[in-house]
Amino acid sequence: MPKDMRRDFADRAELVAYLAAEFPAAAAESAAVSATRGGRRAAEALLTAIQPARYASTRNFLDGAVTRLSAYLRHGVLSLAEVRRAALRAETRPAEAAKLISELAWRDYWQRVYAVIGDGIWEDREPYKTGLEAAAYAQELPADIAAGTTGLACIDAFSRELVDSGYMHNHARMWLAAYVVHWRRVAWQAGARWFLTHLLDGDPASNNLSWQWVASTFSHKPYVFNRENLERYSGGIYCRACPLRLQCPFDKSYEALQAELFPGGAPAATPPRRRQ
Amino acid sequence: MSELVRPVVWIHADCLSPQHPALLAYPGAPALFVWDEALLSSLRISLKRIVFLYECLLELPVSIRRGDVAAEVLAFASEQQADGVVTSASPSPRFAAISAQIAAQRPLRVLPVEPFVQIEQRLDLARFARYWRAVEARALNTFPEDTV
Ligand SMILES: Cc1cc2nc3c(=O)[nH]c(=O)nc-3n(C[C@H](O)[C@H](O)[C@H](O)COP(=O)(O)OP(=O)(O)OC[C@H]3O[C@@H](n4cnc5c(N)ncnc54)[C@H](O)[C@@H]3O)c2cc1C
Repeated sequence: MPKDMRRDFADRAELVAYLAAEFPAAAAESAAVSATRGGRRAAEALLTAIQPARYASTRNFLDGAVTRLSAYLRHGVLSLAEVRRAALRAETRPAEAAKLISELAWRDYWQRVYAVIGDGIWEDREPYKTGLEAAAYAQELPADIAAGTTGLACIDAFSRELVDSGYMHNHARMWLAAYVVHWRRVAWQAGARWFLTHLLDGDPASNNLSWQWVASTFSHKPYVFNRENLERYSGGIYCRACPLRLQCPFDKSYEALQAELFPGGAPAATPPRRRQ
Repeated sequence: MSELVRPVVWIHADCLSPQHPALLAYPGAPALFVWDEALLSSLRISLKRIVFLYECLLELPVSIRRGDVAAEVLAFASEQQADGVVTSASPSPRFAAISAQIAAQRPLRVLPVEPFVQIEQRLDLARFARYWRAVEARALNTFPEDTV
C-alpha cells in the first residue's frame, strides 16, 4: 500500500526535523533552513508590498526595493501575469512599473528559450569571448569559494548568504558569478550547479542562462566589475572591514582588468553597458 | 481526446499555486505531488529548498509521495479509479519525458498556465532586446487595443 508523506506538523521545527530525516542527502548538502517561508500566503504578503517606482531607481543597490518574489515565481506559487498586473495597479502610470515588468520579462524570456533548447541550457550556447578556450576553465568549484573562506569579505559574504538563506540579490549573483568564472577561471557549469543546490528560486533556465550571460557564452562580451562598482552598490559594507582591502583583486580600472583577465579577448562588458 | 470526468490531478514543482488550472477545472479532484527521487539525487538540492517546497505543498489539497514520478501518478490514478490525469504545462524536458510515460498508459490533459503576455506572433529569441521590443507594449498595457 503506498504511503503518503506526512502533512500534520505542530510547527516548523517539527517539519524541518521530519524532512531532514526523510531526505538525509539534502541535509548533508546543507542543513540550513531559510527564513523565507513557502506558500501562497507568504507570497501574497510580499506581492502587496511591491513598490515598482522605487524599484526602478534603487534595484541595483543591495538595499534597494527589490521584490524577493523569485522563489514563488520559480515554483508557480505566483504567476508572472499576476505580478505584472499587481505592478501596473501599484502605480498610476505604466511607465513607472516598466522597469519591474521588464525584469519579469527576463524570466519569461529564459523560459521561452528553455522550451526551445531544453537540456541544451547545460552546454555553452556560443564560444567564450574571453580569448580563452573552454578547456582553460576548471570543471570543479574551488573549495574556498563554496566554504566562504577566500578571505575576500564580499565574496565570502555572498557565498554564506547563498548557503544560509538560499537568496541573493541580482547584483551579488553577477559579482559572484564573474569572480568564479573570470577571476578563478572556473567553468560556469560548476558555479551554476552550486547555485541550483542552494537557491530557493533555483531555476535551470534563469540560472544557467544568466551564468552563460556572465561567462560570455550567451552574450557578446564577458561581464566583469571592479571595486568602485561593488563598493558603490553595496554601500561599502564589505570593503570597510575586508582583510584584503589593500590587496583587492577588484581594485583596478576596467582597462587593467581587461588586460589581466582576458589577454587577447574581446573588450569586457562593464557597467555603463546595460546589465541584465 | 474525450473530456475527463473523474481525473486525478498531478501537481509538479513548476506550479504550486492554489489557483492551479487543474484544481480550478476539477474542484475536489484527488491531487498528488511526487518527489522525483532520480532528480533529487542528480540535482543534489539542499534541505532549505525541500522545506520551501514542502511549505508550498502544505497549503495545497494534495497527497505527497516519493519515488518514480510517472509510476506513482499512474498508481494513484488506479487507486482512485480515475479516467485520466490532468496537469499544468512546463517547458522542462523532464516534464515532457514524464508526461509521455503517463500518456502511454492513461489519457493525460495538460492545461496551460496564464502567460506573462498574450502574444500570437512567433518571437525572435536570439537576444532579449528583440524579444522585449516585440512584447513591451502588451506587457505594459499600452498596446492600443488594451487601453479602452
Ligand atoms: C548568475 C545568476 C544566476 C541567477 N539564477 C537565478 C535563478 O536560479 N532563478 C531566478 O529566478 N533568477 C535567477 N537569476 C536572476 C535574478 O538574479 C533573480 O531573479 C533575482 O535576483 C531574484 O530576486 P528578486 O525576486 O528580489 O528580484 P526582482 O529584482 O524583484 O525581480 C522580480 C522578478 O523578476 C524576475 N527577474 C528579475 N531579474 C531577472 C533576471 N535577470 N533573470 C530572470 N528573471 C529575473 C524574477 O522572477 C524576480 O523574482 C540569476 C541571475 C544571475 C546573474
